[in-house]
Amino acid sequence: MAGHTGGIFALDQEKYDADEQVKIICLGDSAVGKSKLMERFLMDGYRPQQLSTYALTLYKYTTTIDGKTVLVDFWDTAGQERFQSMHPSYYHKAHACILVFDVQRKITYKNLTNWYKELREYRPEIPCIVVANKIDADLKVTQRTFSFAKKHGLPLYYVSAADGTNVVKLFKDAIKLAMSYKLNSSDFMDEVMRELENFELEQREESSDKEDDVIKEEKAKVA
Amino acid sequence: MAFVAKRCGVKFDPPSVVLVYEDGKTKKMRQRIMPVRNFSKFSDCSQAAERLKNNVRHSAYLEGVSLRQLERLHGVLRDRMRGRTLKQSLASLRLDPDQDLNKLSDEELARKKAQMDELFEHNRKRKDDPDFVYDLEVEFPEGTGHETCSWDEDESDDGF
Repeated sequence: MAGHTGGIFALDQEKYDADEQVKIICLGDSAVGKSKLMERFLMDGYRPQQLSTYALTLYKYTTTIDGKTVLVDFWDTAGQERFQSMHPSYYHKAHACILVFDVQRKITYKNLTNWYKELREYRPEIPCIVVANKIDADLKVTQRTFSFAKKHGLPLYYVSAADGTNVVKLFKDAIKLAMSYKLNSSDFMDEVMRELENFELEQREESSDKEDDVIKEEKAKVA
Repeated sequence: MAFVAKRCGVKFDPPSVVLVYEDGKTKKMRQRIMPVRNFSKFSDCSQAAERLKNNVRHSAYLEGVSLRQLERLHGVLRDRMRGRTLKQSLASLRLDPDQDLNKLSDEELARKKAQMDELFEHNRKRKDDPDFVYDLEVEFPEGTGHETCSWDEDESDDGF
Protein backbone atom coordinates (compact mmCIF):
# COMPACT_ATOMS: atom_id res chain seq x y z
CA MET A 1 0.00 0.00 0.00
CA ALA A 2 2.67 2.45 1.10
CA GLY A 3 4.26 2.79 -2.32
CA HIS A 4 1.02 4.01 -3.86
CA THR A 5 0.94 7.37 -2.14
CA GLY A 6 2.69 9.18 -4.94
CA GLY A 7 0.63 7.54 -7.63
CA ILE A 8 -2.57 9.35 -6.79
CA PHE A 9 -1.04 12.60 -7.90
CA ALA A 10 -1.46 11.24 -11.39
CA LEU A 11 -5.09 12.24 -10.73
CA ASP A 12 -4.36 15.70 -11.99
CA GLN A 13 -4.64 17.82 -8.87
CA GLU A 14 -3.10 20.84 -10.60
CA LYS A 15 -6.56 21.80 -11.80
CA TYR A 16 -7.50 22.83 -8.26
CA ASP A 17 -5.26 25.87 -8.75
CA ALA A 18 -7.66 27.27 -11.33
CA ASP A 19 -9.97 29.96 -9.97
CA GLU A 20 -13.20 28.19 -10.73
CA GLN A 21 -12.24 24.81 -9.25
CA VAL A 22 -12.54 23.84 -5.61
CA LYS A 23 -11.83 20.64 -3.78
CA ILE A 24 -13.78 19.67 -0.66
CA ILE A 25 -12.89 16.59 1.36
CA CYS A 26 -15.24 14.49 3.48
CA LEU A 27 -13.51 12.92 6.45
CA GLY A 28 -14.59 10.70 9.30
CA ASP A 29 -14.75 7.10 10.47
CA SER A 30 -16.11 4.21 8.45
CA ALA A 31 -19.90 4.06 8.30
CA VAL A 32 -20.64 7.52 9.70
CA GLY A 33 -22.62 8.22 6.53
CA LYS A 34 -20.26 10.29 4.37
CA SER A 35 -21.42 8.76 1.09
CA LYS A 36 -25.05 8.87 2.15
CA LEU A 37 -24.71 12.60 2.79
CA MET A 38 -23.15 13.14 -0.63
CA GLU A 39 -25.89 11.18 -2.31
CA ARG A 40 -28.63 13.06 -0.46
CA PHE A 41 -27.15 16.39 -1.53
CA LEU A 42 -26.66 15.45 -5.18
CA MET A 43 -29.82 13.30 -5.46
CA ASP A 44 -30.08 11.88 -8.98
CA GLY A 45 -27.66 14.38 -10.39
CA TYR A 46 -24.54 12.64 -9.19
CA ARG A 47 -22.01 10.84 -11.28
CA PRO A 48 -19.58 9.38 -8.80
CA GLN A 49 -16.23 8.15 -9.97
CA GLN A 50 -15.04 5.18 -7.96
CA LEU A 51 -11.30 5.00 -7.53
CA SER A 52 -11.03 1.88 -5.47
CA THR A 53 -7.24 1.78 -5.62
CA TYR A 54 -7.23 5.05 -3.73
CA ALA A 55 -10.19 4.15 -1.52
CA LEU A 56 -11.88 7.21 -2.84
CA THR A 57 -15.11 8.27 -4.52
CA LEU A 58 -15.14 11.52 -6.46
CA TYR A 59 -18.37 13.44 -6.90
CA LYS A 60 -18.44 16.32 -9.34
CA TYR A 61 -20.83 19.18 -8.88
CA THR A 62 -21.35 22.43 -10.76
CA THR A 63 -22.89 25.53 -9.25
CA THR A 64 -22.99 29.27 -9.74
CA ILE A 65 -21.63 31.72 -7.19
CA ASP A 66 -21.94 35.46 -7.85
CA GLY A 67 -22.67 34.76 -11.50
CA LYS A 68 -19.57 32.63 -11.91
CA THR A 69 -19.64 28.92 -12.65
CA VAL A 70 -17.81 26.92 -10.02
CA LEU A 71 -16.77 23.30 -10.39
CA VAL A 72 -16.67 21.44 -7.13
CA ASP A 73 -14.95 18.11 -6.60
CA PHE A 74 -16.05 16.32 -3.46
CA TRP A 75 -13.57 13.75 -2.25
CA ASP A 76 -15.41 11.08 -0.33
CA THR A 77 -12.72 9.17 1.50
CA ALA A 78 -12.53 5.76 3.17
CA GLY A 79 -12.27 5.66 6.92
CA GLN A 80 -10.58 2.28 7.13
CA GLU A 81 -7.14 2.24 8.64
CA ARG A 82 -5.49 0.29 5.88
CA PHE A 83 -5.91 3.30 3.61
CA GLN A 84 -3.90 5.52 5.91
CA SER A 85 -1.16 5.90 3.29
CA MET A 86 -3.64 7.58 0.94
CA HIS A 87 -4.39 10.41 3.32
CA PRO A 88 -1.75 12.92 2.16
CA SER A 89 -3.30 12.99 -1.30
CA TYR A 90 -6.75 13.51 0.17
CA TYR A 91 -5.55 16.66 1.92
CA HIS A 92 -3.45 17.92 -1.00
CA LYS A 93 -4.86 21.23 -2.28
CA ALA A 94 -8.18 20.83 -0.44
CA HIS A 95 -10.08 24.07 0.14
CA ALA A 96 -12.54 22.92 2.80
CA CYS A 97 -13.27 19.91 4.92
CA ILE A 98 -16.49 18.28 6.09
CA LEU A 99 -15.71 16.24 9.21
CA VAL A 100 -18.45 13.75 10.06
CA PHE A 101 -19.33 11.65 13.10
CA ASP A 102 -22.27 9.35 13.90
CA VAL A 103 -24.36 10.50 16.88
CA GLN A 104 -25.12 6.87 17.65
CA ARG A 105 -21.50 5.83 18.04
CA LYS A 106 -19.33 7.52 20.58
CA ILE A 107 -16.09 6.20 19.12
CA THR A 108 -16.68 8.12 15.90
CA TYR A 109 -16.92 11.30 17.96
CA LYS A 110 -13.77 10.45 19.90
CA ASN A 111 -11.90 9.78 16.66
CA LEU A 112 -12.64 13.31 15.42
CA THR A 113 -9.59 14.32 17.40
CA ASN A 114 -7.33 12.13 15.25
CA TRP A 115 -8.90 13.18 11.98
CA TYR A 116 -8.69 16.83 12.88
CA LYS A 117 -5.11 16.61 14.05
CA GLU A 118 -4.07 14.97 10.81
CA LEU A 119 -6.06 17.49 8.74
CA ARG A 120 -4.26 20.36 10.43
CA GLU A 121 -0.85 18.84 9.79
CA TYR A 122 -1.52 19.09 6.07
CA ARG A 123 -3.97 21.97 5.86
CA PRO A 124 -3.54 24.25 8.86
CA GLU A 125 -5.98 26.91 7.71
CA ILE A 126 -8.75 25.51 5.55
CA PRO A 127 -12.34 25.92 6.79
CA CYS A 128 -13.76 22.84 8.47
CA ILE A 129 -17.35 22.02 9.42
CA VAL A 130 -18.14 19.39 12.05
CA VAL A 131 -21.18 17.29 11.22
CA ALA A 132 -23.31 15.33 13.68
CA ASN A 133 -25.04 12.85 11.34
CA LYS A 134 -27.96 10.45 11.88
CA ILE A 135 -29.96 12.76 14.17
CA ASP A 136 -33.08 11.02 12.84
CA ALA A 137 -32.13 8.06 15.05
CA ASP A 138 -32.65 10.17 18.16
CA LEU A 139 -33.60 13.82 17.91
CA LYS A 140 -32.64 14.39 21.53
CA VAL A 141 -28.99 14.55 20.55
CA THR A 142 -29.65 18.00 19.12
CA GLN A 143 -30.16 19.20 22.69
CA ARG A 144 -26.64 18.20 23.55
CA THR A 145 -23.57 20.30 23.05
CA PHE A 146 -20.63 18.48 21.59
CA SER A 147 -17.67 20.39 22.89
CA PHE A 148 -15.23 19.22 20.21
CA ALA A 149 -16.53 21.79 17.73
CA LYS A 150 -16.58 24.62 20.23
CA LYS A 151 -13.14 23.78 21.51
CA HIS A 152 -11.63 24.17 18.05
CA GLY A 153 -13.85 27.08 17.05
CA LEU A 154 -15.60 25.10 14.32
CA PRO A 155 -19.24 25.27 13.24
CA LEU A 156 -21.35 22.23 14.16
CA TYR A 157 -24.25 21.08 11.96
CA TYR A 158 -26.90 18.61 13.10
CA VAL A 159 -27.90 16.64 10.01
CA SER A 160 -29.65 13.53 8.80
CA ALA A 161 -28.81 11.95 5.47
CA ALA A 162 -31.96 9.83 5.83
CA ASP A 163 -34.61 12.55 6.22
CA GLY A 164 -32.48 15.30 4.68
CA THR A 165 -32.31 17.69 7.64
CA ASN A 166 -29.71 20.41 6.95
CA VAL A 167 -27.85 18.36 4.34
CA VAL A 168 -28.22 20.84 1.49
CA LYS A 169 -27.40 23.75 3.78
CA LEU A 170 -24.26 21.95 4.91
CA PHE A 171 -22.92 21.45 1.39
CA LYS A 172 -23.88 24.90 0.17
CA ASP A 173 -22.12 26.47 3.14
CA ALA A 174 -19.09 24.25 2.64
CA ILE A 175 -18.83 25.38 -1.00
CA LYS A 176 -19.08 29.04 0.06
CA LEU A 177 -16.37 28.54 2.66
CA ALA A 178 -14.15 26.73 0.17
CA MET A 179 -14.56 29.55 -2.36
CA SER A 180 -13.86 32.30 0.10
CA TYR A 181 -10.84 30.44 1.42
CA LYS A 182 -9.57 30.03 -2.10
CA LEU A 183 -9.99 33.69 -2.95
CA ASN A 184 -8.59 35.06 0.29
CA SER A 185 -6.16 32.33 1.18
CA SER A 186 -3.29 33.33 3.35
CA ASP A 187 -2.55 29.77 4.22
CA PHE A 188 1.08 29.49 5.16
CA MET A 189 1.60 26.23 3.31
CA ASP A 190 -0.03 27.63 0.21
CA GLU A 191 2.30 30.61 0.38
CA VAL A 192 5.30 28.36 0.76
CA MET A 193 4.20 26.24 -2.16
CA ARG A 194 3.71 29.30 -4.31
CA GLU A 195 7.12 30.64 -3.32
CA LEU A 196 8.72 27.32 -4.18
CA GLU A 197 7.03 27.20 -7.54
CA ASN A 198 8.16 30.72 -8.36
CA PHE A 199 11.62 29.89 -7.17
CA GLU A 200 11.83 26.92 -9.50
CA LEU A 201 10.60 29.02 -12.40
CA GLU A 202 13.19 31.72 -11.72
CA GLN A 203 15.94 29.16 -11.54
CA ARG A 204 14.90 27.66 -14.80
CA GLU A 205 14.85 31.06 -16.45
CA GLU A 206 18.25 31.86 -15.07
CA SER A 207 19.79 28.69 -16.38
CA SER A 208 18.29 29.22 -19.80
CA ASP A 209 19.72 32.74 -19.79
CA LYS A 210 23.14 31.32 -19.17
CA GLU A 211 22.79 28.92 -22.04
CA ASP A 212 21.83 31.79 -24.24
CA ASP A 213 24.95 33.62 -23.16
CA VAL A 214 27.12 30.66 -23.96
CA ILE A 215 25.53 30.36 -27.34
CA LYS A 216 26.02 34.05 -27.95
CA GLU A 217 29.66 33.78 -26.94
CA GLU A 218 30.14 30.88 -29.28
CA LYS A 219 28.46 32.82 -32.03
CA ALA A 220 30.73 35.72 -31.27
CA LYS A 221 33.76 33.47 -31.58
CA VAL A 222 32.56 32.15 -34.88
CA ALA A 223 32.00 35.64 -36.11
CA MET B 1 -51.37 -16.78 4.98
CA ALA B 2 -51.17 -20.54 5.08
CA PHE B 3 -48.01 -20.60 7.17
CA VAL B 4 -47.15 -18.07 9.83
CA ALA B 5 -43.40 -17.84 10.44
CA LYS B 6 -42.58 -17.62 14.14
CA ARG B 7 -38.87 -18.10 14.52
CA CYS B 8 -35.89 -18.79 12.34
CA GLY B 9 -32.53 -20.33 13.07
CA VAL B 10 -29.74 -22.50 11.71
CA LYS B 11 -28.39 -26.01 12.07
CA PHE B 12 -24.72 -26.55 11.33
CA ASP B 13 -24.73 -30.23 10.40
CA PRO B 14 -25.77 -30.47 7.70
CA PRO B 15 -25.93 -26.70 7.09
CA SER B 16 -29.63 -25.84 7.15
CA VAL B 17 -32.05 -23.05 7.90
CA VAL B 18 -34.68 -24.03 10.47
CA LEU B 19 -38.10 -22.42 10.54
CA VAL B 20 -40.68 -22.69 13.32
CA TYR B 21 -44.10 -21.80 11.96
CA GLU B 22 -47.79 -22.11 12.63
CA ASP B 23 -49.91 -24.01 10.19
CA GLY B 24 -52.77 -21.66 9.28
CA LYS B 25 -55.34 -24.46 9.00
CA THR B 26 -54.54 -26.69 11.93
CA LYS B 27 -53.14 -23.90 14.19
CA LYS B 28 -50.35 -26.31 15.11
CA MET B 29 -46.73 -25.29 15.57
CA ARG B 30 -44.39 -27.09 13.23
CA GLN B 31 -40.72 -27.08 12.40
CA ARG B 32 -39.22 -27.17 8.95
CA ILE B 33 -35.59 -27.90 8.20
CA MET B 34 -34.35 -26.57 4.89
CA PRO B 35 -30.89 -27.79 3.89
CA VAL B 36 -28.68 -25.17 2.30
CA ARG B 37 -27.13 -26.73 -0.79
CA ASN B 38 -24.14 -25.79 -2.90
CA PHE B 39 -22.96 -23.46 -0.21
CA SER B 40 -19.31 -23.11 0.80
CA LYS B 41 -17.13 -20.72 2.72
CA PHE B 42 -16.62 -18.81 -0.53
CA SER B 43 -20.30 -18.41 -1.35
CA ASP B 44 -22.21 -15.17 -1.58
CA CYS B 45 -24.75 -14.98 1.25
CA SER B 46 -27.25 -12.70 -0.45
CA GLN B 47 -27.36 -14.90 -3.53
CA ALA B 48 -27.78 -18.02 -1.43
CA ALA B 49 -30.51 -16.37 0.64
CA GLU B 50 -32.36 -15.40 -2.50
CA ARG B 51 -32.05 -18.91 -3.84
CA LEU B 52 -33.58 -20.35 -0.69
CA LYS B 53 -36.37 -17.80 -0.58
CA ASN B 54 -37.34 -18.58 -4.17
CA ASN B 55 -36.99 -22.33 -3.80
CA VAL B 56 -40.18 -23.99 -5.08
CA ARG B 57 -40.47 -26.27 -2.09
CA HIS B 58 -39.76 -23.63 0.57
CA SER B 59 -40.94 -20.28 -0.75
CA ALA B 60 -44.49 -20.60 0.65
CA TYR B 61 -43.10 -21.17 4.13
CA LEU B 62 -40.57 -18.34 3.89
CA GLU B 63 -43.01 -15.68 2.81
CA GLY B 64 -42.97 -14.07 6.24
CA VAL B 65 -39.18 -14.19 6.58
CA SER B 66 -37.25 -11.24 5.19
CA LEU B 67 -34.45 -11.72 2.71
CA ARG B 68 -32.20 -9.81 5.06
CA GLN B 69 -32.77 -12.28 7.87
CA LEU B 70 -32.06 -15.19 5.57
CA GLU B 71 -28.90 -13.45 4.49
CA ARG B 72 -27.80 -13.11 8.11
CA LEU B 73 -28.49 -16.78 8.78
CA HIS B 74 -26.39 -17.76 5.78
CA GLY B 75 -23.71 -15.50 7.18
CA VAL B 76 -23.70 -17.47 10.41
CA LEU B 77 -23.45 -20.75 8.47
CA ARG B 78 -20.59 -19.45 6.37
CA ASP B 79 -18.77 -18.10 9.40
CA ARG B 80 -18.87 -21.60 10.84
CA MET B 81 -17.35 -23.00 7.63
CA ARG B 82 -14.60 -20.43 7.99
CA GLY B 83 -13.88 -21.59 11.51
CA ARG B 84 -15.50 -18.80 13.47
CA THR B 85 -17.41 -19.60 16.62
CA LEU B 86 -21.10 -18.88 16.98
CA LYS B 87 -20.29 -16.27 19.58
CA GLN B 88 -17.94 -14.45 17.18
CA SER B 89 -20.40 -14.44 14.35
CA LEU B 90 -23.25 -13.22 16.51
CA ALA B 91 -21.01 -10.41 17.75
CA SER B 92 -20.35 -9.37 14.18
CA LEU B 93 -24.10 -9.10 13.67
CA ARG B 94 -24.58 -6.80 16.60
CA LEU B 95 -23.81 -3.12 16.55
CA ASP B 96 -21.45 -2.16 19.30
CA PRO B 97 -21.32 1.63 19.64
CA ASP B 98 -17.76 1.46 20.95
CA GLN B 99 -16.34 -0.76 18.24
CA ASP B 100 -13.87 0.92 15.92
CA LEU B 101 -15.16 0.04 12.46
CA ASN B 102 -12.06 1.52 10.82
CA LYS B 103 -10.28 -1.70 11.64
CA LEU B 104 -12.70 -4.04 9.84
CA SER B 105 -12.29 -5.75 6.49
CA ASP B 106 -14.51 -4.68 3.60
CA GLU B 107 -16.83 -7.59 4.12
CA GLU B 108 -17.24 -7.16 7.86
CA LEU B 109 -17.79 -3.46 7.34
CA ALA B 110 -20.44 -4.17 4.72
CA ARG B 111 -22.24 -6.31 7.27
CA LYS B 112 -22.32 -3.47 9.79
CA LYS B 113 -23.42 -1.02 7.15
CA ALA B 114 -26.25 -3.34 6.12
CA GLN B 115 -27.54 -3.28 9.70
CA MET B 116 -27.34 0.50 9.88
CA ASP B 117 -29.13 0.69 6.56
CA GLU B 118 -32.25 -0.78 8.14
CA LEU B 119 -32.78 2.33 10.25
CA PHE B 120 -31.70 4.55 7.37
CA GLU B 121 -34.28 3.08 5.04
CA HIS B 122 -36.92 3.23 7.75
CA ASN B 123 -36.39 6.95 8.36
CA ARG B 124 -35.64 7.81 4.79
CA LYS B 125 -37.56 10.54 2.99
CA ARG B 126 -37.63 9.89 -0.73
CA LYS B 127 -38.01 12.28 -3.60
CA ASP B 128 -41.47 10.91 -4.42
CA ASP B 129 -42.77 11.28 -0.85
CA PRO B 130 -45.47 13.98 -0.72
CA ASP B 131 -43.73 15.82 2.13
CA PHE B 132 -40.26 15.67 0.62
CA VAL B 133 -38.29 18.92 0.85
CA TYR B 134 -34.92 19.00 -0.92
CA ASP B 135 -33.39 21.84 1.05
CA LEU B 136 -34.79 21.01 4.49
CA GLU B 137 -33.39 23.40 7.07
CA VAL B 138 -34.03 22.98 10.75
CA GLU B 139 -32.46 25.20 13.37
CA PHE B 140 -31.40 23.69 16.62
CA PRO B 141 -30.77 26.72 18.76
CA GLU B 142 -27.84 26.52 21.05
CA GLY B 143 -28.23 28.22 24.37
CA THR B 144 -29.85 27.64 27.70
CA GLY B 145 -31.04 24.28 28.84
CA HIS B 146 -28.42 22.39 26.93
CA GLU B 147 -27.07 19.22 28.40
CA THR B 148 -23.37 18.75 28.15
CA CYS B 149 -22.64 15.64 26.23
CA SER B 150 -21.53 12.72 28.35
CA TRP B 151 -19.19 11.86 25.51
CA ASP B 152 -17.11 14.84 26.55
CA GLU B 153 -16.62 13.75 30.11
CA ASP B 154 -13.41 11.78 29.73
CA GLU B 155 -11.42 14.62 28.32
CA SER B 156 -8.00 13.37 29.37
CA ASP B 157 -7.29 11.60 26.08
CA ASP B 158 -8.26 14.64 24.08
CA GLY B 159 -5.45 16.98 24.87
CA PHE B 160 -4.30 18.91 21.87
